[in-house]
Amino acid sequence: MAIRKVIIGNHAVSWGVQLARAEVIAAYPITPQTQVVEALSEMCASGDLDARFIKVESEHSAMAACIGASATGARAFTATSSQGLALMHELLHWASGGRHPIVMADINRALGPGWNIWTDQTDSLAQRDTGWVQLYCETNQEVLDTTIMAFKLAERVNLPVMLVLDAFYLSHTAEPVEIPDIAEIDAFLPKRDAKLKLDTSDPHSFGALVKPDAYMEMRLALQQAMREARVVFDEIEEEWEQQFGRRYGAVEADYTEDAEIVIVAAGTMVSTARHVVEQRRAAGERIGLVKVKMFRPFPTETLRAALRGVAKVAVLDRNLSPGHGGIFAEEIRSGLYEVPPDDRPKVFGYVLGLGGRDIRPETIGSIIDRTRAAAAPEREDLWVGVEA
Amino acid sequence: MSEIGPRDLSVSSTTTEMNRTGSWKYIRPVYHDRVAPCNERCPVGIDIEGYMNLLREDRIDEAVDLLLRENPMPAVTGRVCDHPCEQACNRCGLDGAVAIHAVERMLGDRALERPYPAAPLRQREQVGVVGSGPAGLACAYHLARLGYPVTVFEAAREPGGMLRLGIPEYRLPRAVLDLQLDRIRELGVNFVCGVRLGGDLQWNVLSWFDAVFMAPGAHLPRPLGVPGEGHARVRQGLDFLADVNGGQRPDVGGRVLVIGGGNTAMDCARTARRLGGAVSVMYRRTRAEMPAIAEEIQDAEAEGVSLEFLAAPVAFHPLDAGVLDAEFERMVLGEPDASGRRSPVPTGERFRTRADLVLLATGENASIESLPLNVDIERGAIRVDELGTTTVRAFFAGGDAAGHERTVAHALGAGKRAALGIDRYLRQARGERELRDPVQTRVASGNLSMTRWRGDDPVRRVDPVEEVVGPADVNLTHFAPAARHADHKPNGETATTFVEVNLGLSAADALAEAHRCFNCGVCNECELCLIYCADVAIRRTEGGARFEIDLDYCKGCGVCAEECPRGAISMTREGL
Amino acid sequence: MSQIMIKDAVPDRELMTAGHLACPGCGGALAMRMVLKELGPQTIVVMPACCWSVIAGPYPQSSLRVPLYHTAFETGAACASGVRAALDMRGDTETTVMVWAGDGGTFDIGLQALSGAAERNEDILYVCYDNEAYMNTGIQRSSATPWGAWTTTTPAQQPQANPKKDIMAIMAAHRIPYAATATPAYPVDLLEKVRRARAVRGMRFLHILAPCPPGWKFSDERSMELARMAVRARIFPLLEVEDGLHWRFTIDHPGDPVEPYVRAQGRFRHLDDAQLATVQERVDERWEELLGRVMR
Repeated sequence: MAIRKVIIGNHAVSWGVQLARAEVIAAYPITPQTQVVEALSEMCASGDLDARFIKVESEHSAMAACIGASATGARAFTATSSQGLALMHELLHWASGGRHPIVMADINRALGPGWNIWTDQTDSLAQRDTGWVQLYCETNQEVLDTTIMAFKLAERVNLPVMLVLDAFYLSHTAEPVEIPDIAEIDAFLPKRDAKLKLDTSDPHSFGALVKPDAYMEMRLALQQAMREARVVFDEIEEEWEQQFGRRYGAVEADYTEDAEIVIVAAGTMVSTARHVVEQRRAAGERIGLVKVKMFRPFPTETLRAALRGVAKVAVLDRNLSPGHGGIFAEEIRSGLYEVPPDDRPKVFGYVLGLGGRDIRPETIGSIIDRTRAAAAPEREDLWVGVEA
Repeated sequence: MSEIGPRDLSVSSTTTEMNRTGSWKYIRPVYHDRVAPCNERCPVGIDIEGYMNLLREDRIDEAVDLLLRENPMPAVTGRVCDHPCEQACNRCGLDGAVAIHAVERMLGDRALERPYPAAPLRQREQVGVVGSGPAGLACAYHLARLGYPVTVFEAAREPGGMLRLGIPEYRLPRAVLDLQLDRIRELGVNFVCGVRLGGDLQWNVLSWFDAVFMAPGAHLPRPLGVPGEGHARVRQGLDFLADVNGGQRPDVGGRVLVIGGGNTAMDCARTARRLGGAVSVMYRRTRAEMPAIAEEIQDAEAEGVSLEFLAAPVAFHPLDAGVLDAEFERMVLGEPDASGRRSPVPTGERFRTRADLVLLATGENASIESLPLNVDIERGAIRVDELGTTTVRAFFAGGDAAGHERTVAHALGAGKRAALGIDRYLRQARGERELRDPVQTRVASGNLSMTRWRGDDPVRRVDPVEEVVGPADVNLTHFAPAARHADHKPNGETATTFVEVNLGLSAADALAEAHRCFNCGVCNECELCLIYCADVAIRRTEGGARFEIDLDYCKGCGVCAEECPRGAISMTREGL
Repeated sequence: MSQIMIKDAVPDRELMTAGHLACPGCGGALAMRMVLKELGPQTIVVMPACCWSVIAGPYPQSSLRVPLYHTAFETGAACASGVRAALDMRGDTETTVMVWAGDGGTFDIGLQALSGAAERNEDILYVCYDNEAYMNTGIQRSSATPWGAWTTTTPAQQPQANPKKDIMAIMAAHRIPYAATATPAYPVDLLEKVRRARAVRGMRFLHILAPCPPGWKFSDERSMELARMAVRARIFPLLEVEDGLHWRFTIDHPGDPVEPYVRAQGRFRHLDDAQLATVQERVDERWEELLGRVMR
């Protein structure tokens, strides 16, 4: 029997991991992630979750332990934020190159210096090229659902999956969440059955030196797995929806059919934007909204379909690639390049909310107005809330 | 949805055996059994390492058989040989030579417990042997084992030559010697005693034989050339020994002087001591130059014999009542002579000492007085080549009379080589072709091998090479220290009886000594090469005995050869 | 037999294959062969970057007949912790999880993960085969490089200026149940320690001295001889430590002079007699210090 509980986002991750019956957890504390593993520690201690929790001495070791566990056939999980994720960077490549279906929760937090513990997407987006699937979440329910689906997706395509949620706005914010019955989850997500693993009855080596004659084939295989992940994700969501009645979409498009301006966002900004878009719609303005849940593999085709023919697209980036601009905007711009010029929207890339700065309905309202007022973006990065 | 496969990530599907890493090497290890230094140095040419290897596995009877292949009388040599093998032993570098001598004695005594392995006397040719000392006995023994009927002629009443006449009973009990002779007699060797060449035995009698081996020994007194030497109380040491060894107990009076520094001198001194004499050995050089076996010297001293060095006799002055005044000249050591020892140089200083008996032990001349004229003589001895061949067809010689070093072991070696020469001669005469060159049976620079001549080595040796394993070739690391058993075990009696002085080692102790052997040069399958191979390139052969090196994978590091405790692996340049 | 016969103590099984890519005379290769002989097929190897990353063979080869995971340089102990956890979850507590790391991956870059695993008392066997420098990258100094040694980053004019890190003391300080030193030059001692380590549960650490002919600059065939010299000269004492407290020598160390060992290696060629004396002094000092621990 599913139950409803009011829980914070971090605990939604913990619940998801418990329901997914993760077998090995290795983690290291960092604000604002810590509550995820605190709850998991309690679950392991109480026996609610039958897993080995390795209390490692660093995030680097957390990922290394997850890799070892996953290579041995276990369902492995870790969670981190910001500096911790950056520390893991080397091993993120190792996890994907080794084709280990590890699931990790990253609580988006700004990178220092100076120390900043508040939300910012740069930490996860900076791991763009590590070969991890990235799924951004908007609500605590989505967090829980995505955690479980992430394991299924990871194990289907043999890729690691990172689910991403905003610091504090989601991680520490309590919302009512429907927690499915574990028996239903067991049906949805059976025990992991790794065919290729560290197994003394079928000994292989993994990760040996690969020469130029074979390396590219392996990178292509990784790329193909990413393409496959795009398709498989939809299948999994379909299945999830049938079983639990909820679906998020790699990309969610609202009011885009006739929109003049479409706001594109990821994470909790989407909720704020949705509120503003609905207000503007009620006032008769043709404003639409696109929520990007999946960042890798990048759902280019879906986004193209949603944005084709829209005059202006306002991309909200709570992140920065210094020297270029907002990362979502960059990705969308390049994704829309193949759209014929007549149908190709003008992309306004707004950089806002960095380091946890609040994004209020008025902030989004001002962005809509600013977009409408300009014929074209004066430059690639349009800063919001600061003198630029 | 495709399953992840072996081309999608770095996962192994095969081993490294596809890499022929052996191509890296420029030198390769080769199993080459080599020659143990004891084997090379043995005047008899015994495969000492071979029997030690068998004893390592406690295969005692096989060890005895192997020993008997080269040595007809290990019970004798195990008692009286001066064992140069032990000086060469590589174990000297760790904790003392293996007591090879004592091991041989144990095996020799065991050999006497049953008949020797015999061969049917199927050869037609008859061989005559003159002299039944160790050279003659060895020749007769080996020929009998090669299937020849042999007749041995001996001037004395009983066979044995110097073994019987010269070596005192306390060193070589008569019972051992008699049993030893019985064992040889059982092989079909015929002994005719009491016939002297030139006397009862005329030269033309010998011409009936298809081949003859001459080993008459060296019994002729060599005069000192000093005044008074013909005095009745100045005796030839050998005659004195022959009397005592024959059972007589002559009165030696109170004070006995023995002139000489060799084994005969020691035998005379200790025998005279047993007859109640106060004995002094007078030697013209010093202890370091004494040719006698060191242990004999020590034993003599322990028995109360005193040694006087740098004293050479110049005259014997008769006094009343059969007493002598022996006059000596004081010597100093000068430059080394031909023997490599420092020579005595007279100082002019003289001294006298009273003696009831003087025994001369300064050497004898070869007994070659009755030989036909056409036999070449060189420096007082019959001229022979290595196989004992003389200048007369069918006529071979060896031992003291043929100028060989005057030890039992050298005589046994000479007799063996002559047997080999005679066998080859008779086979050639018979028209046999393709005989191997006996000299090719040489063990390194040492003796010839009867086993190799016969071509039936029971010891497995892999690609043997005639290189001696030196101290630098053994790896002492792999041996635990094990103290040498003192091979000299006194009988506990005072020096008044002729009971055997040295009781030898117990069988258990002798075996323990055998287990101290490094087995130089011959693989004993200790597996260290296999254990230390980082390249997994060494394995047991299909049959399970010995090892083979997989050259596809051996990188030629040489660790196996370096670690081999006994120098049985050599590194060879690739392509050679 | 006064020869110390060891063949019966060495298992026949061969879990390493020929054709691996170790240099001739590699102490590390032989160490692996011996250790696996004792551990047997129920072993999973986790290997951070080290010479063995090459020795094990390129894709699609493996020179080991047991599962092997090549992991990032600094992650040996952490990755193995994960493997162990996964096996435990599967109910497999018998399989030995062995980390096989070089000195760089142990003394230097992997020390944090190693310390973490040791503190957690992970049920793994961590083996450091120590060739005393970064040999795979071409002989650069590590914190395991001995004082006075030449490497490509400590040239002869300015050789290694620091003493070798005392890794055994570090591991003992973690109070792990079993730690030991060993070398393939003493196979029985090595195998016995592996056997003991295998029987223990919790963190086990084995420090194996692995002579490196190209890195130390000596002739290939002397590989084992040099290891033996190091032991005999008390440069690399053979010992075990239980629970971090009970130190015990496993063989006698006669205390041969260090000179033949030092002079046998090109990496010390530049040392003058005074520096050689310093090496001896440092060895003697360490030995005294060690005696204090062993007496305890």
